[in-house]
Amino acid sequence: MGKFKRTYEEINEKIARKEAVIMTAEEVIALKEEQGIEEATKMVDVVTTGTFGPMCSSGAFINLGHSDPLIRMQKVWLNDVMAYAGLAAVDIYLGATQLSESERSDYGGGHVIEEFIRGKEIRLKAVSSGTDCYPAREVEAIISKETVNQAFMVNPRNTYQNYNVAVNQSAKTIYTYMGILLPELGNASFSTSGQLSPLINDPDLRTIGIGTRIFIGGTEGYVIWEGTQYSPKAMPVLEKDMVARMGASLALIGDLKKMNPDFIQAAYISGYGVTLYVGIGIPIPILDEDIMRTASIRNEEIYTEILDYSCPHPDKPSLGWVNYAELRSGQIDIKGKKIPTSSISSYAKARTIAHTLKEWIEKGEYFLQEPIEFFPSQRELHRLKTTRVY
Amino acid sequence: MIKKKAILRFDSTTVEKPVTYYLIKKYDLWINILQARFEPSLGGKLVIELRGEKKQLDQAFAYLKEQNIRVDFLEEEISWDKLKCNHCGACVSICPVGALKMNRETYYLEFNYQDCVVCGYCTDACPVQAIEIIF
Repeated sequence: MGKFKRTYEEINEKIARKEAVIMTAEEVIALKEEQGIEEATKMVDVVTTGTFGPMCSSGAFINLGHSDPLIRMQKVWLNDVMAYAGLAAVDIYLGATQLSESERSDYGGGHVIEEFIRGKEIRLKAVSSGTDCYPAREVEAIISKETVNQAFMVNPRNTYQNYNVAVNQSAKTIYTYMGILLPELGNASFSTSGQLSPLINDPDLRTIGIGTRIFIGGTEGYVIWEGTQYSPKAMPVLEKDMVARMGASLALIGDLKKMNPDFIQAAYISGYGVTLYVGIGIPIPILDEDIMRTASIRNEEIYTEILDYSCPHPDKPSLGWVNYAELRSGQIDIKGKKIPTSSISSYAKARTIAHTLKEWIEKGEYFLQEPIEFFPSQRELHRLKTTRVY
Repeated sequence: MIKKKAILRFDSTTVEKPVTYYLIKKYDLWINILQARFEPSLGGKLVIELRGEKKQLDQAFAYLKEQNIRVDFLEEEISWDKLKCNHCGACVSICPVGALKMNRETYYLEFNYQDCVVCGYCTDACPVQAIEIIF
């Protein structure tokens, strides 16, 4: 391994002088192939990544402001979508997947969040049993991002490292969070942005931890914790002599009021429910050759597992491994059969995010933050021990 | 499978014919009656959605012509909202005729309207409801 090292301070000084060399995780692939790892490491300071996919574990805290007379809100609805109100009087958490209680089954928390970012007016209804200090029992109001106090997105699990490929071996069409899966291996659905995916480009999370400054929904945000179900694994792909990295995820924060609707989009997945597309980009500082090696990984080198989603159990049957170059080609081979593929995350948007983040850094407006704490390299995943399942 | 919507017009000579029965039984079509209005012994109209293989649909329309039943198709087309579309490609593997394709250079979705048979599968597959059927 080469001795070349670079520090966060050196990178940030170059950014301030507008001399830093920034490339997206796609652009750096060609550079590495032309120049080799050693030269590429010396030439590039930061590699930017991106992803734009449905991320169910997303939502926002909002402080609605106090009414006169006061109310301690116990149940709250925004456009008929219930928000969690078990907090202080007018603090709520609105989850992306919460469904509307009106007759519209294709509307939910994700849509309210998108409309809020667009600056639209939102109907608020709140009820309470009333207390001496908070006597009001019912409140209705029209709110928007101009009327509320703080509104910040806190997403417990985003940027999943490497998601599996979903197929359906059963005889009937199934409607899943990975989209519509046609019977008898009629199609295959995947999600990860592959060579642009943030946690694929730094699979050991050497530069990503608490405090890492990121791109989230079109604005700056931060990594605040390991994501829920964080459980990094290196799985051997025996027949290909490769290792597949998966299982890491991040909890993120960002200012909802500053987000841009180009990078946050509500979704209704047919037969499944409401979710939210979240655009995220993470800059990877090229501290040494090892980081350049992972940051310049190609789709051909990134493997993921094909799982049968017609099985309702957590351990779904595996149909083998496939790489992202094959998935992106439009069809994959399973059991000798050619199967058309679909992505439910947007590669075009992932690219735009990586480029936008690159521009921010080039302009000297965005600096890299060294993590305050790193995440463990292993974390056991517990299963729910049920006393009853219906 | 192809989906078509049509208005079948009956007069006093054709109104007694059990046409729906034949369409299902003989041509193996899925029939969905959207609207029906008849004056007994005078005639009337039936608005139906027919779903089936192309060959069988063609044969069914030939049969209706033979029976002197006027068929007017309700022209439908797919409307694709390019601004709402985020170009994920969830629709690509669902489209039975390959009218929706991912450009492997730009990774933007391309929609070839000529190839589209208006089956409507993509409207269910789209996570952001950027595709709709319009009349």
